[in-house]
Amino acid sequence: MISTAQELHPAPVLEPGRTILELRGLEKRYPGTHALKPVDLAFKSGEIHAIVGENGAGKSTLIKLLTGVMPRTSGEIVWEGQPAALATPHEAMALGINAVHQEVVLCRHLTVAANMFLGEENSRFGILQQRAMVRQAQTIIDDLGFDLPAHVTLGDLTIGQQQLIAAARATVRGTKFLIFDEPTAYLTRKEADQLFTLIRRLKGEGVTIIYISHRMEEVFELADRVSVLRDGTLVGTRNIAETNDAELVKMMINRSIEQVYHKEHFTPGAAIIEARNLSGKGFENVSMTVRAGEIVGLYGLIGAGRSEFVTTLYGRHRKSAGQILWEDKEVQVNSEHDAIKLGMALAPESRRDQGLCLNLPVGFNLNLPIYKRISNNLLISSTQEKTQADRQIADLRIKTPTRGALASSLSGGNQQKIVIGKWLAHGAKLFIFDEPTVGVDVGTKAEIYRLFGALLSKGAGIILISSYLPEVYELADTLHVFRRGKLVATHGFHAASHEDILTQALAEKQEKLGGQI
Amino acid sequence: MSTEAIAVEKPKRNYNVLFGLTLLALLVLLWILLSVATTSFASANNIANLLRQGSMIAIMAVGQTFVIITGGIDLSVGAVVGFATVVVAMMINAGFPIWLAILVTLLVGVAIGMFHGFGIVKMGLPPFIITLATLTSLRGIGLLMTNGNSININSDTFTAFSRNSFIGIPNLFWMVILVGIPAYIFLHHSRWGRYLFSVGSNAEASRLSGVNVQRTIYMAYTLSGLCAAFVGVLLAARIGIGNPTQAEGWELQAIASSVIGGTSLFGAVGSVHGPLLGAFILATINNGANLLNVNSFWQRIITGALIIIIVYFDGLRRRGK
Repeated sequence: MISTAQELHPAPVLEPGRTILELRGLEKRYPGTHALKPVDLAFKSGEIHAIVGENGAGKSTLIKLLTGVMPRTSGEIVWEGQPAALATPHEAMALGINAVHQEVVLCRHLTVAANMFLGEENSRFGILQQRAMVRQAQTIIDDLGFDLPAHVTLGDLTIGQQQLIAAARATVRGTKFLIFDEPTAYLTRKEADQLFTLIRRLKGEGVTIIYISHRMEEVFELADRVSVLRDGTLVGTRNIAETNDAELVKMMINRSIEQVYHKEHFTPGAAIIEARNLSGKGFENVSMTVRAGEIVGLYGLIGAGRSEFVTTLYGRHRKSAGQILWEDKEVQVNSEHDAIKLGMALAPESRRDQGLCLNLPVGFNLNLPIYKRISNNLLISSTQEKTQADRQIADLRIKTPTRGALASSLSGGNQQKIVIGKWLAHGAKLFIFDEPTVGVDVGTKAEIYRLFGALLSKGAGIILISSYLPEVYELADTLHVFRRGKLVATHGFHAASHEDILTQALAEKQEKLGGQI
Repeated sequence: MSTEAIAVEKPKRNYNVLFGLTLLALLVLLWILLSVATTSFASANNIANLLRQGSMIAIMAVGQTFVIITGGIDLSVGAVVGFATVVVAMMINAGFPIWLAILVTLLVGVAIGMFHGFGIVKMGLPPFIITLATLTSLRGIGLLMTNGNSININSDTFTAFSRNSFIGIPNLFWMVILVGIPAYIFLHHSRWGRYLFSVGSNAEASRLSGVNVQRTIYMAYTLSGLCAAFVGVLLAARIGIGNPTQAEGWELQAIASSVIGGTSLFGAVGSVHGPLLGAFILATINNGANLLNVNSFWQRIITGALIIIIVYFDGLRRRGK
């Protein structure tokens, strides 16, 4: 039990090693955005320092400043007692600062060994010593305990394996300070364990590790200290032994869960869509019904088959077996076009790749699904085009100077509102939201959730896919859990505990995670 | 990033108009300079000649622009022009009525465009490759059909058309207007035009928004093939022969006109008036260089330099400088 006095004045943070890197008033401004407000923080050698915070809290900005990818606006970075400019990535690497990014930034078409030595090739008289490099790379990989061949093309490995190679690559470069940016997002548990072993070993060698993750259980498993960022401000730093989940979450979002998840309950009406024993690429034998006025949540890990299931409903992929019933009549959905005609709308997972035409205006994006309606056979009504776009911008409170501004100029949250907003005028009955709040700040999240309520009140049904359990848990009237392409459990609103749902989604990972969530 | 803090960017709604006016100013400036520098530039004869020269590239550039807006490229248009001169010449000489000969030639252009669409959509070939393949094969097919000879067209009615004028303006230039106005309405005021832009910007997002991406791609290449075949008819009328090796390198001129006219080779940016102005700027440079007795080799160099300068400044603007 923590006493009040301790809460107000946390015990002085343990300092295991000497200070290797110190931030003094480090600050970053973009035009119109204060991405990082002055931060003071010291990192010790040989510590694993976790940084947590919501999307948009300033974590990526901090990494970019530390790795020299972007210049800071003001403040000082002190490296081993000396002020460092860190103006270029090259300078950061020369000092021994490296980063392993969530998305692997290596050359997929080169071999593992070539990637390990990229930029520092071993050559004699200008001739690459390819065999020697493969041998050395293999030694390093074996030494780290990864069961991977060094001579294969990197692109032939899984994303998780590539991630391990990226980590291995960083370790051989005289790294003293290594940043991991959500490294486990695409890893299996086994790969994650290998990575954690590597991280602990580096720590033992005195390397400072910055570990950025959304996964609380990993933070508690690995880190010595944890710093919390919120809206570009460093809220605080804690020793891991002296904090807990609830405290960190409270520091991260600064508001209670009830304020964010505004849930309205409606009496479900008639069935809008029903899947009967539907199978397709990535999922099999899934049955579920979505009725008017209800949110059906699909929870599971990335790759559990949720997105594949909904894109099949939406006609993007072919079903291999089973039936789709729309308003109790069997239908064939052979294309997105068919789905839209029935009254489905899909806000896809990736805004950039699937949701938006970034280099086209906001108004264009909002009107894209309804151009057919706002034009006669030949011409588009420009008045309608304007009024429709302006109405959505006003209704959704999309922050844009005009409807003519390019979609790329808006923040992530506002872009997401466009992805959702373009379907509102279309008059769809079934809305499919695939990870609608990724990269969106809390305020916008709350707005998006309120929008769900508005859609339900008009008699629409919603399928909500999320990898973030609290989101589906607090919003879904019916919650389906997916694991490896199968629907493994179904719960009513708040009918199961977080732990049970997680267990069902993870199954074999259960023992590792133990009550950390 | 928080919602309060959007990086506000000035709207660029009027940019298209402004860019068009800049091009127009450049064109007028060239004309004034050449009128002063040479005695013959401002003559009615030369202006008519210039309009005829520019018209054909301009029409090709419009079709090309549709394709480039979708993020593709059509390298075949020059070869289509050459091939079309052969088709129309053979049909007229075989005694078919002129209207039928023209119609069939245009349909051949449509068929070639459809084939490109098929190659890209169904076979998954890159536009660069499939249209490059057509470029070389069409020239070959044309040479086979003609045995390598030119076909003299034996219809004066047909050839007279391109020499004549209507209310003082060459017929060929009227054809630019005939193509330009529907093209403008199509691109900027119809939903199919919108779909060209959306596919060029993000095909996946468009597909998920209910846009028929495949049909849009078919449409772009078909229109480009149609424009090129139409230019082939005009060229056959102008020179009075059918010859598959005609219009060598015109595809590059069409692409250059389009790019000078503000079309982005990355797709999703372009207009109809831009390429038209671009084509006449190129024609003016060539015409002026001839009158000034500039070595014709220089014309190519100037065209190249102009492309680099305009695209560079356009890139600066887009990056918000």
